[in-house]
Amino acid sequence: MVTAELLADLKAIFPELKMAGEESVTIFPKKEEEIAKVMAYCNDSKTTVSVVGGGTKQGWGTPAKTQIQLSLEDYTGIVEHTPGDMTVTVKAGTTFKELQGFLAQHSQKLALDPSWPAYATVGGVIASNDSGPKRLGYGIARDSVIGLRTVYPDGRIIRSGGRVVKNVAGYDMNKLFIGSMGTLGIISEVTFKLRPLPKCESLALLSFPEGNLEEVRRFAIKLLDSMMEPVALELLNPFMAGNMADRNCYTLAISFEDVETSVRYQEQYIKANQPARTSLDILTDEEAKAFWNKLYTAAPCGLDSLEEGTGSNKETAAAMKIGIVNLKVLDVIRECQLLSDGGQVAAEAHGGLGTGICQVVLRGSDDQVAAGIMHLRKFAVQEGGYAVVKHLPEVLGGKVDAWGDKPSYFPLMEGIKAKMDPNRILNPNAFIGGI
Amino acid sequence: MAFLKEIKTNDQHIHKLAGIVGSARSILYKKEDLLAYDCDGFTIHKHLPRAVVFPKNTEEVAAVVKYCHENDLPFLARGAGTGLSGGAIPLNNEIIISMVKMKRLLRVDLENRRAVVEPGFVNLKLTNSISERGYYYAPDPSSQYCCTIGGNVAENAGGAHCLKYGVTTNHILGLEVVLPNGEIIEIGKDGVADEPGYDLLGLLTGSEGTLGIVTKITVRILKNPEGKQTVLAYFDNVADGSQAVSDIISSGIVPAALEMMDKTAIEGVEAAAFPVGHPKDIEAVLLIEVDGITAGIDEQIEQILTVCRSRNVREVKVARDEAERGRWWANRKTGFGAMGAISPDYLVQDGVIPRSKLPEVLARINQISEESGLRIANIFHAGDGNLHPLVLFDARVPGETEKALEAGSLCLKVCADVGGTITGEHGVGIEKREEMRFVFTEEEIAAQTDVREVFNPKNLLNAGKLFPSPGRCVEIKKEMKASAAL
Amino acid sequence: MSLRELDLKQEPSCSSGSLSNYLAKDHPDETKWADCVHCGMCLESCPTYEITGQEQHSPRGRVHLIKSVAEGRLNVNEFFADPVFACLDCRACTTACPADVDVGGLIEEARGQVRQAMPLTGWQGAVSNMFLKGIFPKQNRLNTLGSMLKFYQKSGVQSVVRKTKLINIMPKHLVEMEAIMPEIKEPVRKRYKNEKVIKAKGESKREVALLTGCIMDVMFSDINEATINVLTRNGNDVVIPQNQTCCGALHVHAGDRDTGRMLAKQNMDAFRDAEKVVVNAAGCGCMMKEYAELFHDDPEMREEAEKFAEKVEDISKHLHDTGYEKPKAELKTRITYHDACHLAHGQNIRQEPRNILLDIPGVEMVHMPNSDRCCGSAGIYNITNPEMAGAVLESKMENVPDDVEMISMGNPGCMLQMAMGVEKYGRSQKIVHTVQLLDWAYQKEDGKGEN
Repeated sequence: MVTAELLADLKAIFPELKMAGEESVTIFPKKEEEIAKVMAYCNDSKTTVSVVGGGTKQGWGTPAKTQIQLSLEDYTGIVEHTPGDMTVTVKAGTTFKELQGFLAQHSQKLALDPSWPAYATVGGVIASNDSGPKRLGYGIARDSVIGLRTVYPDGRIIRSGGRVVKNVAGYDMNKLFIGSMGTLGIISEVTFKLRPLPKCESLALLSFPEGNLEEVRRFAIKLLDSMMEPVALELLNPFMAGNMADRNCYTLAISFEDVETSVRYQEQYIKANQPARTSLDILTDEEAKAFWNKLYTAAPCGLDSLEEGTGSNKETAAAMKIGIVNLKVLDVIRECQLLSDGGQVAAEAHGGLGTGICQVVLRGSDDQVAAGIMHLRKFAVQEGGYAVVKHLPEVLGGKVDAWGDKPSYFPLMEGIKAKMDPNRILNPNAFIGGI
Repeated sequence: MAFLKEIKTNDQHIHKLAGIVGSARSILYKKEDLLAYDCDGFTIHKHLPRAVVFPKNTEEVAAVVKYCHENDLPFLARGAGTGLSGGAIPLNNEIIISMVKMKRLLRVDLENRRAVVEPGFVNLKLTNSISERGYYYAPDPSSQYCCTIGGNVAENAGGAHCLKYGVTTNHILGLEVVLPNGEIIEIGKDGVADEPGYDLLGLLTGSEGTLGIVTKITVRILKNPEGKQTVLAYFDNVADGSQAVSDIISSGIVPAALEMMDKTAIEGVEAAAFPVGHPKDIEAVLLIEVDGITAGIDEQIEQILTVCRSRNVREVKVARDEAERGRWWANRKTGFGAMGAISPDYLVQDGVIPRSKLPEVLARINQISEESGLRIANIFHAGDGNLHPLVLFDARVPGETEKALEAGSLCLKVCADVGGTITGEHGVGIEKREEMRFVFTEEEIAAQTDVREVFNPKNLLNAGKLFPSPGRCVEIKKEMKASAAL
Repeated sequence: MSLRELDLKQEPSCSSGSLSNYLAKDHPDETKWADCVHCGMCLESCPTYEITGQEQHSPRGRVHLIKSVAEGRLNVNEFFADPVFACLDCRACTTACPADVDVGGLIEEARGQVRQAMPLTGWQGAVSNMFLKGIFPKQNRLNTLGSMLKFYQKSGVQSVVRKTKLINIMPKHLVEMEAIMPEIKEPVRKRYKNEKVIKAKGESKREVALLTGCIMDVMFSDINEATINVLTRNGNDVVIPQNQTCCGALHVHAGDRDTGRMLAKQNMDAFRDAEKVVVNAAGCGCMMKEYAELFHDDPEMREEAEKFAEKVEDISKHLHDTGYEKPKAELKTRITYHDACHLAHGQNIRQEPRNILLDIPGVEMVHMPNSDRCCGSAGIYNITNPEMAGAVLESKMENVPDDVEMISMGNPGCMLQMAMGVEKYGRSQKIVHTVQLLDWAYQKEDGKGEN
């Protein structure tokens, strides 16, 4: 169906809905029932549909060009928050920053630190399972989400989990939707368990000018084996450390969040155990927050307006997420630096030594970036890990597989997709293996 | 005799299965032996299995499963059989695949904070094996002395310290699974996080043995906290106690554990094996533990004491040493068993509620108690709102068993009505199949059984668990009550 | 949750009237299993479950089976007897049980039922009868056996047998037993036959009676000697009632409760005048404290047995409670301590013997992991269930630290079994009784000891 016809059709059926369209139709629902109605329509008419929040993840994976886009821009707000329960229920279109701002008034927070928090929506963060360095201390989406309302492709509204922090009634269906890239259903509401806002925060930047990664490794192991409780232990490659904090060498960003006495005590530990020939800076509260915010917005994302170097100078930029056994992060970060040093592609990289997750930004010509992705994926897979592309510029669409090889249990995933979205209307081909 | 040499039965399947697991010693088929497997920690239902097999490795598990799959024989996996909801009971005369012979600790990687175990490995043994180096495995169900990690994965087990550290699912990094058709898959290879694709790790954990049989588990291990302090607080009324719970949580402290017992429960624990001298006339006792960096703990303890005092605490004290702390915990952890000291029988429930509803829910449970004429003791993980109402009754009195079942179910209804759920850590199993309707609609249950069909299309693996039988809830409840009356 | 079971219907009873399939008298006590909620906390404590991984060989499984017979779901037959007799009777489950279910008591009662329903026949019956009825309770026959063994050792026959590999024709587990047979000395009961009271060495503070034990006095009379030395050195006058007999533990474990009752009565009579009965064998002490269990149907005897139990005390507890002189001589040795089941689980005596050992200057104690795990001796279990006993022993030996010279314990059965373990697994440790070490320290202090 051509767009104009589709638009006319939709307008006739849903006169109350706001919609617009040029290349595809975008619908702006305000209520969950509206989402459900549109989905049921799509399912019956086999019209493809995808969901968009803030748009930061429009380049994540292999985004489908669907006939309808559901924008959750108007589907926002806090549904329920009982401070004493430390849980919050929020509509999926709410931005992450807005939610955190609301919770901060109650000295609480959602313990996630995704990229582009000002633009990313709660639904998008959950559907993409985005995470940041503080996952070491607080876990990831699957550890914070306790309940979901999801609109199924056939228009059913299915709740999973609940509003309590401990729940084993039935299958843990929340897990299926977290990170499913909008291929199974449209998450309309999310219930999170919360943490108290830390009373004090600080960040130790420990730089290794000699570039001896063995020394970094020794220090990291010692810290991890101590009883200190860093909430992030992130290694930055020299290229990134230069951009982030003006130091062109391997740098560890070690974050502490707790009551003040505890934070100071842990800073003291770092000072006392600082390896020879390293430099150490301790950033407190606001400085630390600024550092992290810079890191959260370092990678390119799907919002064109946020991409630097617009116009004719625009170089191609891609973002990758690499997962590997924790301490092998050292090897991945080194590999990224080697790529940069060799002039093949500019690679900004950081990775958690206690989490095994690396985030890499590659910049260069189309071919350089594509080659860089292939190279890092090969490396990661050899080392027992994986590499996915979190942001793939349009020019590379079709040239680079964003997800890598299918796992052996892929048929189960296909089976789940077939059960839940038999007509394959939701974000078709957007996820691993062309799901 | 204990070591059998040959098989004497006409059941050809038994001979075939014995062939797969290698010897006559690895299979049970005589009624006298099978009887020990007719229930688990949930004893209301009893059913004999067809046989019990003891595979030694993944390949044998896969071969047994494949055989069952091809011959349409119902089967299920069993660990230590400590489950409290009947998940390992062979409702359909299943072949039980006992995982207890697969009990090795395969690998410990302290630097990368993970360990690989076989499913029959006992929970506490993991912590014991790494404690010398200062590490531990966080999920600590009270049965941790004997329950297996495979079972913990199936049930997504919790424990007293999951308030701060999370339940089993938050600590599983990888699984090797035998699917119901005998195929072996590996999810989260080497425990690498966020493997691309749907989170089957999360789906399988807590699926109560209905989607596959776990044969290898990679778990996260944690470093011991530097310090630990424990506080005991006595309240003259339950409302003050539960308000204190809310206040502590919302004051920005994340306690490692926050436990509560009411008057009836206190009477029980004081009459049992580990009394600690709680005052008899007290209405509620809180047990609060804070751990973490020692330098920060004192401040938090001070804050907790202040909160308690502002809520009219009668007495509040900090454990002087590890021995005292140990006594307080033994008193709390043996709470269920202790009920034996004040009642011939008890029924434990496992509801969860939003913390803020605590006073309201306790009042309603009290009402249920009065209306049923049965005493109900409350022992619970107050910090995460996980209640364990213990309905005390005497099965020898005609009619009391049904009354207890009824009262238990009503307690769960109350939990569901205030926005909570019917089970926080014990699982649905057979016990709470019908109560699933308190929290899920028919459509939502169908969404879940759809997933089961993907993994377990023939429904030979642990059938009849977790989900209510479509449209038959009323009759089944009646049946349960009728047979309870016998 | 000990809710009444709902599915009784599915296993119809074959008996008329009462559901129970226990047909003989003295049947297992319903109140004992009523507290079992089937929670499984006992599983890991059970050595036979550890070996087999099978629940019919676990405490809760056995309780379940015993209960099932009473409910008419099972019959007393050989398949029921198998798990019931494979139990080591180590009581570790009693320690582990949050509800204090007396599994040991139930097992013994069930064994009584099995033996009444299906008496042992063939060679098993003959051997069992010979030992349990013919020898253990008969002091003179035991002495004769002792003399024969002594002759066997002294005469050189033993070394001939060992050298010529004649022992290879014996069943394997008996060969292993033979290899560790202790040197037989003269029983103290014979030696002090004419002494009414063995007087305390210094000031006399109290009088105690000593159970010399049946096998103990024949195979380990040196331990009895050591016990007497230690007692008299610490102000105890010791009497050895001559009409005392075997405690009956082995009979009760084997299901022969009638003989058990007979022996219990004889001992209660023999020790009637004693205020304190000191025992140096954990198994005997435990049995004597539990005589009341044998008299369910006889309230008078039961009461008497309960009173008697209060007089019985293990040597280590007795020394701990009444005080003892700390030896001054140094023994300079690294040891480890094995908790005999019937001391640790049966009588809750754990710390007292350790304290005694630690009070000996120069004794360094190395922790044995799972020290209260059964060694597999379990009375005559190692003779009747050699394969299981061997497996249990292997598991035990894995926990014995390498770098110790001695393993100390408080039960002769364990001593034989552990000695076998040392021999079988090529270890070097010497097996000693706790009082022996104390006695050696005293001897050394007095300039007599060789150690």
